[in-house]
Amino acid sequence: MQEKKLIEFRNIVKSFDNQIVLRGVSLDIYENEFVTLLGPSGCGKTTLLRILGGFLNADEGQVIFDGEEISDRPPYQREVNTVFQKYALFPHLNVYENIAFGLKIKKMGKDVIEQKVMKMLKLIGLEGYENKNTTLLSGGQQQRVAIARALVNEPKVLLLDEPLAALDLKLRKEMQYELKRIQQEVGITFIFVTHDQEEALTMSDKIVVIRNGEIQQIGTPQEIYNEPANRYVANFIGESNIIPGTMLEDYKVRFDDITFDCVDHGFRENEPVDVVIRPEDIDIVDVKDGKMTGEVLSVLFKGVHYEIMVETVAGTKVTVNMQVTQNRDAVSADGKEKMSATDFYVDIEDVKKMDDKEVIARSNAQAWDPASDEYISITKIEYELEEKEGDYPVRFSTAGGLSVERTIHVVNQPFVRNEKANEGVMAFNFMTTVEEIRESQALDIDIKTWANAQAWKLNNENESVDITVDYDFDPDTITEGIYPITFWTPGREFKIHTTDYTEVGQQVGLTFFPEDIHVMARAM
Amino acid sequence: MKKFSQLAIPYIVWAVIMLVLPMALIAFYSITEPGNSIFSFSVTLDHYVTFFTDGDFLRILWRSLWIAVKTTVICLLLGYPVAYFISRCGERLQNRLILCITIPMWINMLVRTYAWIGLLTEGGLIQRILSFFLPDGTQLLYTESAVLLGMVYNFLPFMILQINTSLCKMDGALLEAGADLGADPVQTFARVTLPLSLPGVVNGITLVFLPAVSSFFIPKLLGGGQYFLIGNLIENQFITVGEWNFGSAISMVMALIMMLLMAVVRRLENRNRGGQDERNF
Amino acid sequence: MKKGKRPIGKILTALIVAFFYLPILYMIIFSFNDGRSLTSFTGFSLRWYKRMLESRTMMEALYTTFSVALIATFISTVVGTISAIGLSKSRKAIRNLMEQVDNLPMMNPEIVTAIGFMLLFITFRVDKGYLTMLLAHIAFCIPYVILSVMPKIRSLDPNIADAAMDLGATPWQAMTKVIIPQITPGILAGALIAFTMSVDDFIISYFAAGGGVKNLSMVVYTMSKRVNPSINAASTLMVAIITIVLILVNVIPIAAAKRRTSYEIKKKKALIPAVAALAAAAALVVFLHAGSGAGGRPFEGQTLHFYTWGEYTGENIINDFEEETGAKVVLETFDSNEQMYIKVANGESYDILVPSDYMIQRLIQEGYLQKLDPSKITGLENLVDSVKNLPYDPGNEYSVPYFWGTVGIVYDKTKVDMEDLEREGFNIFLDEKYRGDIYLYDSERDSFMMALKALGYSMNTEDMDEIQAAYEWLIQCVQTMDPEIVTDEIIDNMAQGRKALGLIYSGDATYVMSENEDMGFYLPETGTNIWSDAMVIPANAENPELAHAFINYACEYEGAYDNSSFVGYTSANEEVMEVLSGEGGDFEGINAYLPRTDNDMDEVFEYNENTRKEISNLWSRVKIAASNAD
Repeated sequence: MQEKKLIEFRNIVKSFDNQIVLRGVSLDIYENEFVTLLGPSGCGKTTLLRILGGFLNADEGQVIFDGEEISDRPPYQREVNTVFQKYALFPHLNVYENIAFGLKIKKMGKDVIEQKVMKMLKLIGLEGYENKNTTLLSGGQQQRVAIARALVNEPKVLLLDEPLAALDLKLRKEMQYELKRIQQEVGITFIFVTHDQEEALTMSDKIVVIRNGEIQQIGTPQEIYNEPANRYVANFIGESNIIPGTMLEDYKVRFDDITFDCVDHGFRENEPVDVVIRPEDIDIVDVKDGKMTGEVLSVLFKGVHYEIMVETVAGTKVTVNMQVTQNRDAVSADGKEKMSATDFYVDIEDVKKMDDKEVIARSNAQAWDPASDEYISITKIEYELEEKEGDYPVRFSTAGGLSVERTIHVVNQPFVRNEKANEGVMAFNFMTTVEEIRESQALDIDIKTWANAQAWKLNNENESVDITVDYDFDPDTITEGIYPITFWTPGREFKIHTTDYTEVGQQVGLTFFPEDIHVMARAM
Repeated sequence: MKKFSQLAIPYIVWAVIMLVLPMALIAFYSITEPGNSIFSFSVTLDHYVTFFTDGDFLRILWRSLWIAVKTTVICLLLGYPVAYFISRCGERLQNRLILCITIPMWINMLVRTYAWIGLLTEGGLIQRILSFFLPDGTQLLYTESAVLLGMVYNFLPFMILQINTSLCKMDGALLEAGADLGADPVQTFARVTLPLSLPGVVNGITLVFLPAVSSFFIPKLLGGGQYFLIGNLIENQFITVGEWNFGSAISMVMALIMMLLMAVVRRLENRNRGGQDERNF
Repeated sequence: MKKGKRPIGKILTALIVAFFYLPILYMIIFSFNDGRSLTSFTGFSLRWYKRMLESRTMMEALYTTFSVALIATFISTVVGTISAIGLSKSRKAIRNLMEQVDNLPMMNPEIVTAIGFMLLFITFRVDKGYLTMLLAHIAFCIPYVILSVMPKIRSLDPNIADAAMDLGATPWQAMTKVIIPQITPGILAGALIAFTMSVDDFIISYFAAGGGVKNLSMVVYTMSKRVNPSINAASTLMVAIITIVLILVNVIPIAAAKRRTSYEIKKKKALIPAVAALAAAAALVVFLHAGSGAGGRPFEGQTLHFYTWGEYTGENIINDFEEETGAKVVLETFDSNEQMYIKVANGESYDILVPSDYMIQRLIQEGYLQKLDPSKITGLENLVDSVKNLPYDPGNEYSVPYFWGTVGIVYDKTKVDMEDLEREGFNIFLDEKYRGDIYLYDSERDSFMMALKALGYSMNTEDMDEIQAAYEWLIQCVQTMDPEIVTDEIIDNMAQGRKALGLIYSGDATYVMSENEDMGFYLPETGTNIWSDAMVIPANAENPELAHAFINYACEYEGAYDNSSFVGYTSANEEVMEVLSGEGGDFEGINAYLPRTDNDMDEVFEYNENTRKEISNLWSRVKIAASNAD
């Protein structure tokens, strides 16, 4: 049902205070379409709508409406009407007067107005509310009045600026159906602005995905969902597994060291691409039947389905020793001050980054008044470090004269490289006391700090990777001794939506059809 | 929070003594004989009867109300366009203009009124300019027009600021909605802006009318000794004649008239605004 | 907004802004005028500033204005803030009730609030003075503070105080560390409003203050009858102070915001302008106050409360007296005997009053005066015989004359026909030839004197019919002649020749004639009022000793000369009178200066309770009738 082109945006550019909001947007909208402008806040979607409504003038470009250039027309001469974000109902007028406003402006006869308003009230299901004060209506009712107020003028296009944003979830769902019904009933073009992808998928005939003032993709909800044009669209709409890969040749894509058949073509040979596989398109099968294999990491029950995370590529691990020593708190001569601190390890490369704060944190140095348990500040820290392996003394002192001496071990710590997962992980042996472990309120985090454990992407040292810590002791009963601590990163994980239950820890196979693989050009 | 609510107790006591009791005393004096004390007194309504049966007093009351009405209307006619213009300016200019209008309000009213004497008196700047247009020997100072001018001068800023505030508070989307529904700028103003700015107009009217009715130094300075408004009558009773009881009765009459008028205005305003009165929480 | 749009709005706004600033600019410009005129600028000079700085009344008024404003602002801000916090946590009924109470001073006409305070202080016998003024200011400022703090409190998360206390804060800490920092903008706005309201206030101070304590508004109000460019100077000073405060308040936060590039200045920055403004004002107060210090003499440190007519003391007498005795003189002035009487009858305490003859008689009769101690009075023999031993106080047991004179007609020789004057006497005030060209004097006694004398009756008549006839005469005058009823305004206006005729005191006429040669002074043959104003000591005087000293000082040549030469009224001191009217004297050839003593029809006022009341009421009715005449 291809109809007449109703609205044409031609290369619209708009900026506010030197900030470009729309960068040359061109878009065609047809009669009787339900079009959604979808994008995060600040992407320019509302600006585009307001340019069409006549509330803003574009800096460049044209707006063609029904074959006529309307860029310079004021709002009141345009055959479009708007449902505003917070409805903008006139607080001094009642429901009837609000709806009749546009008709009165057109100086229609009283009886005609009444007829039309009543018809509208019926359409929105608010018969009997005509004398109500609009400010006393519920959000949903105000919403309907706003729609009626716009529709009663019989515009060719209805603009809706995030009209459902202010409603609660249940009401929002109801209004989605309601809006769709009204649109079908009145048979005009609706242009709907939202940042809610689900709303967009539910209602639209056509979705326009906008980002940073540029259109990313235009298409039906199915097209947008199944064939997102790029990583951005795939991420924004629905849930997805996005994996970096390489297009070997037409219909052949390679990722995670495996080559897969697919239905995509038209890329350059060996072009780096992003691959999207929707979670519901992946099936869990036996290991021997899987195109990939992995271990089940987690299973979450989501109502209709389970959300299962499967790790196909292992993460990176490093194990260090934790030396638990006896308590070595120092006490001042008068017994009024106590201080504790531990020896610690530093990587040669990090020596130049060491400052007082860092030394205190790493040695976990603290001083307190044993009587009141109040902290005392450590006023003096003396140490001399060189970028050479070896042991260096450090001395912490309080204003009260109490001081302790500890050792900083400077070592050349190798790190674990995992080329396949593109990760590096490093951690240090460290010393601590039974008390520190027992008193720790977040032991995992403390251990990471003490061991100075870190993980990063090999291709970008500034991009850190989450690490998890594993140990095999009970902090409540720990005694002196040496304990192994393992730090590890997650590997490649796939999110799978399935109705079949699987045990955590099980080895499974994953499979999907070539048409479920969607290859996209790398986003810039 | 019991602890916090106790903080208000000293003030409640203070307010009873300093705010409520004085009003009670005025009421008390207005219905007692001269020379009565608060321990022994006889109640009388004579003072009220005297006031309401004397044509001269009633004419003064009427004149006070009438000049206040004139002041209010002039302030509204001048103030609305100015407030509207200011509200449509850019934010910077708007702030500056508001400051421009606020600064004179910081300067003592009496001082500013006194300054008009020099302008209006024979040979003063305004008098000299206007003498080209007015018949010879027309006096400006010590006339009702001078009093009216003084009142407009003193009270116009209140009107402008109140209307401006209500115009600025207005949701811009409402104006867009008006335009969207086909109203041209004039129609949008008449059907959306104007009705929605009414609360500000009402506040402005209150803030102009109230002091205008009771003002006594403006008529004294600019109207001269033979120009009496109700405020002068009260001052005269207290300061020169020494008839406190009668003076109290006049004060009561004035206070009651004011309260009545304000109640009517508020009622009208509330009806107009319907349920959207923000103060109802 | 496109340029060139809304030309009408632009022009109107510009005009209105000009309208707002025109009088202020005019005032500022004329404060630098060399001449006395308010209408023609004759050259740049700072003399009015000098005059202002020398004028104790003005400097004290400035001090009072700002010290009251600062104290009232501080107290009302603290109390208002604490109360607002308390009220916000009180039960709804109390809160609503208090809201109504707070509205009283805002919704009531200001004059009603003011009268309420006055009645409160009088009923409970609180001496009106600085303290009562301060109390009244605090009382009307607190509601404004509450009004501006309340919305900020309402917009706070109601759990915020609980959260603070949950984290271990005491209620006091919760208030000072959590609630108050959040509502600081409201508190500052409230303080600013309170300060402005207080500095600006006239009506409430006018009724609530007393004992010579005046703020600038009250000074302007009482001085406004005479042309006095020092008012412009003082007002300009006020404008300057207010402008500085405003600039501080507006500019400092902006400057601070600009400086706040790398790290945030603490929240207290909002306090900077307020503190700066307060500091500036406080510095001023200290400066003004420092201006009034002295040395060591017989009455060192004592205070004389001197209550007299406006413009009735010489240029130097007060300062000289203070210099000589070490005492401090608090000068308060009145417009009419009746106004003075009300205050005295109210129990306000003064050491010296200067009432007129009949009023002295009344005060004696009603027991408000104390007898003078003859052993301490030394100046009596210097005085003219005609003013001693008069019927109102035979033997001068209570009073020592100060000024004396007659009441006559001041006229413009170029406009008034001498024949008319001689033929008609006081009836010239009914001659429609001079309609719209006359001044009446706002004094019940002398207006009735004029009418009674015009009708050929005694001014001391007890015949109610004659009084009624005089009333009708006056009514006819105000209804047909369109007079202006004035008090001291007549002096400058006649000196400028604004009208043809006016009823005037001889002393004022002296000044008018010395300023303008075209002016004459005429005493009708049908007789007039020979009046004298004398110094008396009220029964409740706090310092009669000092009062006696002042009386003597004012009787002696130097004091009397200063008074008479400056004010223009006839001195009771014989030598002074002769020197001033004699050859080379200031008032040589001015007939108004030497009172007439040779007309049998002239009378001295006597006090009569019955006629006084009647005349007082009737005069008030005449004024009302005048205001209703069109």
